Amino acid sequence: MRNRRRTLLRILIVVEALALALAFGRTRAAPDLTVPIGEIFSEATSFAEEHGVFRAYDGDGRLLGWAASGSESGYGGPMLLVAGIDTLGRVAGVKLVEQRETPIFWRMARAPEYFKALVDTPYDEIDYDYGEVIGVTGATISSGAIVASIRESVAQVAGEAFDVNLPLPARPFEFGLLEIAILILLIAGVTAQKVTGPTRQRIRWASQVAGLIVIGFWKDSPITLAKLAALMSGFFPDPRNSLAIYLLIAGFVVTSIAWGRNIYCLYACPFGAAQRCVGLIAGKGLKLPPWSVRLMGHVRNLIVFAAIFMAFLTLQPALSSYEPFAALFSLHGSTLQWLLLFIVLVASLAIREPWCNFFCPMRSVEILLQDIRRVFRKPSQAKSHD
Amino acid sequence: MQIFNSGFFWFAEGILFCVMVLGMRAVARDRSIPLTWWKWLAFGVWVLLAGFTVAFVGTSVGEGEPTAAVRGGLMFGFVAIVAAVVLWRVWMIGAPSRTTEKVAES
Repeated sequence: MRNRRRTLLRILIVVEALALALAFGRTRAAPDLTVPIGEIFSEATSFAEEHGVFRAYDGDGRLLGWAASGSESGYGGPMLLVAGIDTLGRVAGVKLVEQRETPIFWRMARAPEYFKALVDTPYDEIDYDYGEVIGVTGATISSGAIVASIRESVAQVAGEAFDVNLPLPARPFEFGLLEIAILILLIAGVTAQKVTGPTRQRIRWASQVAGLIVIGFWKDSPITLAKLAALMSGFFPDPRNSLAIYLLIAGFVVTSIAWGRNIYCLYACPFGAAQRCVGLIAGKGLKLPPWSVRLMGHVRNLIVFAAIFMAFLTLQPALSSYEPFAALFSLHGSTLQWLLLFIVLVASLAIREPWCNFFCPMRSVEILLQDIRRVFRKPSQAKSHD
Repeated sequence: MQIFNSGFFWFAEGILFCVMVLGMRAVARDRSIPLTWWKWLAFGVWVLLAGFTVAFVGTSVGEGEPTAAVRGGLMFGFVAIVAAVVLWRVWMIGAPSRTTEKVAES
């Protein structure tokens, strides 16, 4: 009983501290759009807004052009841009107001280059083929969000200023190989719970290797703390093109609460699979003393708490991401992430799954979910199962 | 980084590899590990890989590309470490197991 109370108290402290940080982050005022619009129309001295479209006037009251904002969910949350169109119907400029992307992917998206390439283009002849214009590969979520935001703002100006209806492209529900693979892996994980011994091990190996290839090297879409923090911050990506992340997180949360063991980490996580494969090279790993494992677990929990706290406080979920997944799966990462990847993979030769045990933020989240499960179960159930 | 261009660096590296070869031979003798030509060949390949890693880092630093030096060093360094583990397992092929040794001693 005392243990349950202590666990409940721990959960409440963590949740309340995070809720406070999120509430503080959310209280920030909305950005003043006249600042970026003033940068686009440098001679503008006054602005008038109607139906979300701003008119920019110079000192003599002459109309310089129109501007509107557009927003779309990127990797770590919504991105806000402003596009300005001059009186001749050409793009006067595009300015970024806010974005929440991971720094490495934001750099890869090379947004300023795209914005520059659009200047002086007639509003109805804009080339939205981002990759074609500046030759960007990768960072598809960020570049997709940039394009969608510009489309939205240009369509608003076209409708209001030129009375032209620029239809936004229809967004089909994306249900491709990645989503199918995730469903199969999760089902394999659930099925494996019904069997024991070598069959379960065989299923685990097969699904982990499949996860390593599909979720890891092919799609580079494992669950990251940034994605989880974005969802918890209320930045929900469009399920029509982000169904995979919803499936993965649902699989993680539901199985953690229902069974106390999450299927994602055991059967689908590509990074866990990479460590197991590396560990296989060296054979039997070292057994660490339990106190060191406990200590490292506490350190990891503290790091994860601090990362989420900062993400909530600044409303920048991407800030919380310290995982070296992108360095391994798409060869993109900061020097620190490369170093962390090196340390983890080398340690995998000697220790069993060091990332999962000592660094993985999802392990801390899993422990929290298991605590919640323990607290809300009837004492008789807890006794018979735990 | 002048040291990578100096004769001393290559002298030191040569000594290091000679010590490694002698060390490997001594370990093999102590543990009664049979040495074959293909074990030495694997060792030679590993030496080339490790040398390439060092050369890559040195050249990148010399070219004023510290990021490439760090990332390439980490990447090739990891491959070299994994290869070292594989080499060790290859080296131990045919070695009498510890339990056999203990039984023989008792």
